Amino acid sequence: MNRPFAIALALLTAWFSLLAAPSSVAAKPEGTLTVAVATFGNERWLPHLYVGAEDVVLKPMYENLLTRDPKTGELAPMLAERWQVLDGGRTWRFHIRKGVRFHNGAELTAEDVRFTFASIAKEGSANSLAPEFRAIKSMEVENPHTLTVHFDKPFVVFGNKVNQGLFASCAFIQSKRHIEAAGEQGAERQPIGTGPWKFVEHVRGDRIVYEAVENHWRATPHWKRLVFSKVPEPATRMAMLRAGSVDVIEIGGEYVDELKKVNVRTIVMPNVSWVYIILGGQWPTKATYDPKVPWAQPDAERARKVRLALNLAVDKQAIMQRVLGGLGTVLGSWLAYPADPWASETLKKPFPYEPAKAKQLLAEAGYPNGFEVTMNLTAWPGRGYLPDVGEAVATYWERVGIKVKRRPVDRAVFSADFRARAYSGVTLAYASPLVAPEMWEVLYRGAYTKASLNLFMEHPRLDEFIDRLAVQPNYQERVRIMRDEMGPFLHDYIPGVAIGAAHAIAGVGPKVGEWPLIAGHMGFHNWEYVTRK
Amino acid sequence: MGGVGGSGAAPPDVDILSYLVGRAFQTVLSMLVVVSIVFVLTRLSGNPIYLLLDVNATQRDQEILTRHLGLDKPLPVQYGIYVMNVAVGDFGNSIISRRPVTEHIWERLPATVELGFVAMFLSVLIGVPLGMYSAVRRGGVLDTAARVFAVLGQSMPTFWLGLMLILFFGVVLGVLPAGGRGGLLHLVLPAFTLGYFTSAAILRLTRSAMLEVLGSDYIKFARLKGLHEQVVLWKHGLRNALLPVVTFAVLLFVQFLGGAVVTETVFAWPGLGRLILESITTRDYPVVQAGVLVLSALYLTGNLCVDLLYSYLNPRIRHVSS
Repeated sequence: MNRPFAIALALLTAWFSLLAAPSSVAAKPEGTLTVAVATFGNERWLPHLYVGAEDVVLKPMYENLLTRDPKTGELAPMLAERWQVLDGGRTWRFHIRKGVRFHNGAELTAEDVRFTFASIAKEGSANSLAPEFRAIKSMEVENPHTLTVHFDKPFVVFGNKVNQGLFASCAFIQSKRHIEAAGEQGAERQPIGTGPWKFVEHVRGDRIVYEAVENHWRATPHWKRLVFSKVPEPATRMAMLRAGSVDVIEIGGEYVDELKKVNVRTIVMPNVSWVYIILGGQWPTKATYDPKVPWAQPDAERARKVRLALNLAVDKQAIMQRVLGGLGTVLGSWLAYPADPWASETLKKPFPYEPAKAKQLLAEAGYPNGFEVTMNLTAWPGRGYLPDVGEAVATYWERVGIKVKRRPVDRAVFSADFRARAYSGVTLAYASPLVAPEMWEVLYRGAYTKASLNLFMEHPRLDEFIDRLAVQPNYQERVRIMRDEMGPFLHDYIPGVAIGAAHAIAGVGPKVGEWPLIAGHMGFHNWEYVTRK
Repeated sequence: MGGVGGSGAAPPDVDILSYLVGRAFQTVLSMLVVVSIVFVLTRLSGNPIYLLLDVNATQRDQEILTRHLGLDKPLPVQYGIYVMNVAVGDFGNSIISRRPVTEHIWERLPATVELGFVAMFLSVLIGVPLGMYSAVRRGGVLDTAARVFAVLGQSMPTFWLGLMLILFFGVVLGVLPAGGRGGLLHLVLPAFTLGYFTSAAILRLTRSAMLEVLGSDYIKFARLKGLHEQVVLWKHGLRNALLPVVTFAVLLFVQFLGGAVVTETVFAWPGLGRLILESITTRDYPVVQAGVLVLSALYLTGNLCVDLLYSYLNPRIRHVSS
């Protein structure tokens, strides 16, 4: 290569490099983006202390090894620029991106990743991913930017556990040196991460203030400051948005019409949680099993008739329209979103509203005059509509002769029963956010720990599916198993009352421009990509 | 309102110092009772471990965290440790944040005191003059208007009034902030919302007290003496009529500190009431206990101040005491 040509090529390469690095040429961050959310207050910064519930307010500061492509939903690089799955899923090797810095200026290394994983797994950890990270047999730092993780058994979806594009991503990578130097209390007061926003101020349960990291390796935010304010009252949030005091609000579907009337722009986050009614007691191997519970009785055929009747008695479409503000899709199956590759047409089709047939099925099952049931009306964080869903379902059940005892119960009180599977004969409305892209992973987590098998039911067939899926390294084959075998099994078994997939909305003020969101991600995210108008 | 009348006057046969010592002893005893009740009630309300740990956490995780937080010890032992720590000023760490509870209280207390003080000031500023003139011009237009004001103030739900004020002044006119804590302007709507109810109560109380005082012999005598009507009203009338009003106002101020949860929620005001409420929902025992303890201390101190004010405002009480 002659010298002038080499120089020209080098200049051209440099020019294209500049074009390809948007963060280095992005406009300087300006202004304050103020976000009013309904609830936070349990935020914890250290990896072994947070359970993930405050994902919305923590995510701006942190990053994970991987993320999900907003368009395809597939795994994509983040702090790991590439990764390898070896030995049938027993070994995962992550190649950590060079040049990524924590907010204190220290460079991210494989040691930080190992420290984070070990912290999540340690005894007494409150992190919701602790059971999965305890499956790690050993970790080797091959060099400052390569970490190899070994498992005893294949862990084919470990990439989903170190993923930014899910709710809640609990494996945010932390700085080993910072936590060791500052101590736990110090690190809690002055947390650092590698994300596009750095910590400025935190008043628990009131506000969290972040500042943009200029020239961030991935995305320099368009806004200089990001402020999360806790505003518990939805009407106040709407008023603050209309008055221009805040730029983004978290709001329930029941307010969507009101927002439209006052010309407030809304952004819909589609299909962010599965809404269904749990029919408690389907755990025959547990000491709390009660064979008298109609839907969980030992006579499988009669029990199934009862579960089918409980589905047919409920007008799911009406609930979706009137309780969830029309923001959702009615479905006939569990743990599936409409766009999932395993959501076949059969699974998507909701159970019809046929109260007469429901009555007939109840009679055939031996309950011509119905039976008594308790409906727990329990609100869960971020899903305040659940008691209303429970109330609506209870009303429909009463129309087919079932006597429903409503029991408003606090989450903290019910949690003990929930964990101990001590709610046989009790029903409740529940909504699962997308904490794993593949539906079986939710069941796997439960099964793996042996603490809460399959969340709401146990069945040998389900265990069999989970065991097969857990060691199947081929994604397409896992999709096939879910679509052709496991999905139809669940649809036929009818473990609960399927309502559907619910959307979430955000009210957005006039200063906010584009806001790309990851499909199925519950809760606000991607603040660094929110543009200014 | 326990202290309004019953605890009011100092017994005539004890000097003021022993009276104060006695009251201080009563205060400590009352606080111990409050601490004990709150301690038991918080423990009955649910286990924070279930909220702290993920639903899939193992039994072993639960045991470790329970031990770490000292919740594995028998309740009487936990209670003993807590009382001893409180006695030396150690309120413990928050279960959720693991930071000292006092930090959380101090973070929120200024906002609460600020709101309570301004609300109380507004209440007195509106309620006392209106009540007084309403009594003086009994049956007149001003009296009718004041009574309408009082009825509205006492019948309108705080959350509704707050939201209406936000919509009108924050959204429609855009002249006041719709929520949150900031400068003086941020205080106007929440303080008015909180103060309106009490200003109406103060108005009614002032009016009835003034009517009673104005009918008394010493007012008639003052008028017979030929004193100027303004002197009769302000010096002899209002001063005596203020006794129950002051009691009421001070105790309401203390109540504002912990009982303004609705106003704090509607206006997203980061006060102590909201902190306690949120801590109850997360079963953060130490924060709830410390918050309630601080509030009861303030309440009891307020009660004591009222008693002292009584003796200052009412010469008869002062003379009997001394």
